[in-house]
Amino acid sequence: MTYCLHIFIGLCLIVIQTTVMPHIPLFARFYDLLAPFVIYLSIFRSVRESMIIVFVFGFFMDIISGGPFGIYLTAYLWMFIGVRWAITFLHVGDGLLLPVVVTAGVLMENLVFIGTSAMFEQSSRISETMVSTIIVQVLWAIFTGPLFLMLFNTSHRRWNLWFKEILVKKN
Amino acid sequence: MFSKKMVMIVGLIVLIAVNIILLSVFNRRYISYYRPGRIAISLIAPFQKASTNSIRFVRDIWRHYFFVVNVAKENDNYKKALNKAFENNIQLRELRLSNSRLRNLLNFEKTITNRVLSAEVIGKDPSPWFKTVLIDKGKSDGVETGMAVVVPKGIAGQITDVSSNYSKVLLIIDHNSAVDALVQNDRARGIIKGDAAGQCLFKYVLRKHDIEIGNIVVSSGLDGVFPKGLAVGYVSAVIKPKAGIFQEVTVTPYVDFEKLEEVLIVLNPKKKEFEPEQ
Repeated sequence: MTYCLHIFIGLCLIVIQTTVMPHIPLFARFYDLLAPFVIYLSIFRSVRESMIIVFVFGFFMDIISGGPFGIYLTAYLWMFIGVRWAITFLHVGDGLLLPVVVTAGVLMENLVFIGTSAMFEQSSRISETMVSTIIVQVLWAIFTGPLFLMLFNTSHRRWNLWFKEILVKKN
Repeated sequence: MFSKKMVMIVGLIVLIAVNIILLSVFNRRYISYYRPGRIAISLIAPFQKASTNSIRFVRDIWRHYFFVVNVAKENDNYKKALNKAFENNIQLRELRLSNSRLRNLLNFEKTITNRVLSAEVIGKDPSPWFKTVLIDKGKSDGVETGMAVVVPKGIAGQITDVSSNYSKVLLIIDHNSAVDALVQNDRARGIIKGDAAGQCLFKYVLRKHDIEIGNIVVSSGLDGVFPKGLAVGYVSAVIKPKAGIFQEVTVTPYVDFEKLEEVLIVLNPKKKEFEPEQ
């Protein structure tokens, strides 16, 4: 049932990102909404549970995006590995370090995108637009990233409570 | 024999190498919507369509019923008329020029009018680095990979992937896109490539051509994808470097890709079927 919740959240994020946000000029250069979700999974959920979701949504994003196939899978996988490694010596659960972790995740994703473009395209160059896009995304991540993590955590707790109540009623 | 740290480092290096190799392989042989991709797109696209339709429905109600009904309707009509006039103007200019060139030629075949299919944009690319959109027409509607996608104002992009009911369109502002084009006035030829800033670069234009800001750029038809004479954009910057054989030309597309909602897919014209020899 936890997988159902993760898939529901992921699908909602993809739909919001590709259909709702393009209509709002304020969010024209918002970061990938699945980035905080992957970070949430790496901090708060088990590896076995998270890896499946990371692969599924990396694949989904690769299918609907115009980038080279595997670019999102790569970004999410390394984001996941990086955060799992970071939490071995950083206590990110207390909330103070959450903006830093989300920002690092968003930066890592952009680095993968730019690195892949540079690797496969000889004429690619870092433009002013690229730099400004990354700065805007980082600013958004600092202020809104922790909110997303808290939202995912709360919805997961509520879901567990609700599910337990149903089980108790049935028994 | 080996320490745990050493194994970790080697494992990490191997993982990075495998990742780069896989990315490289998939970049060359793009995975299409066939097989698992088709399932993924069939799962996501209906939600995107429902969401887009809901947004449009609410927005249309706001525009047409609550927000000065008549003005909004009049405005829509004017916009349609303006688009039509704009399209006619470009086509007429192109026709006038080609007519004067072709007047001296005899026995030319008349150009085939292409059939078009209208489609709605149901989703945009999740990343700001890539410029693609998903549309609600697919293989079952006769859409094929490589078909041109246009709007009344000009060229929008090209179909890159097709599933049974949905297709992905690579917009001309994407850095992977390329359109063979020419300047309408002096017929200077080049390739329109996407730029990160949402504009286009008109590449490989020879220095000898005197291109001015404001010149109209149209498709040449030589790429075999876009019909000849469709508007691409206007020249917004020209830099002639002191060295080199090409000049740097920036083209601003006529199409507002932020507000792209409906598009037309140019279906390939029916091929002539020859009667078998008796």
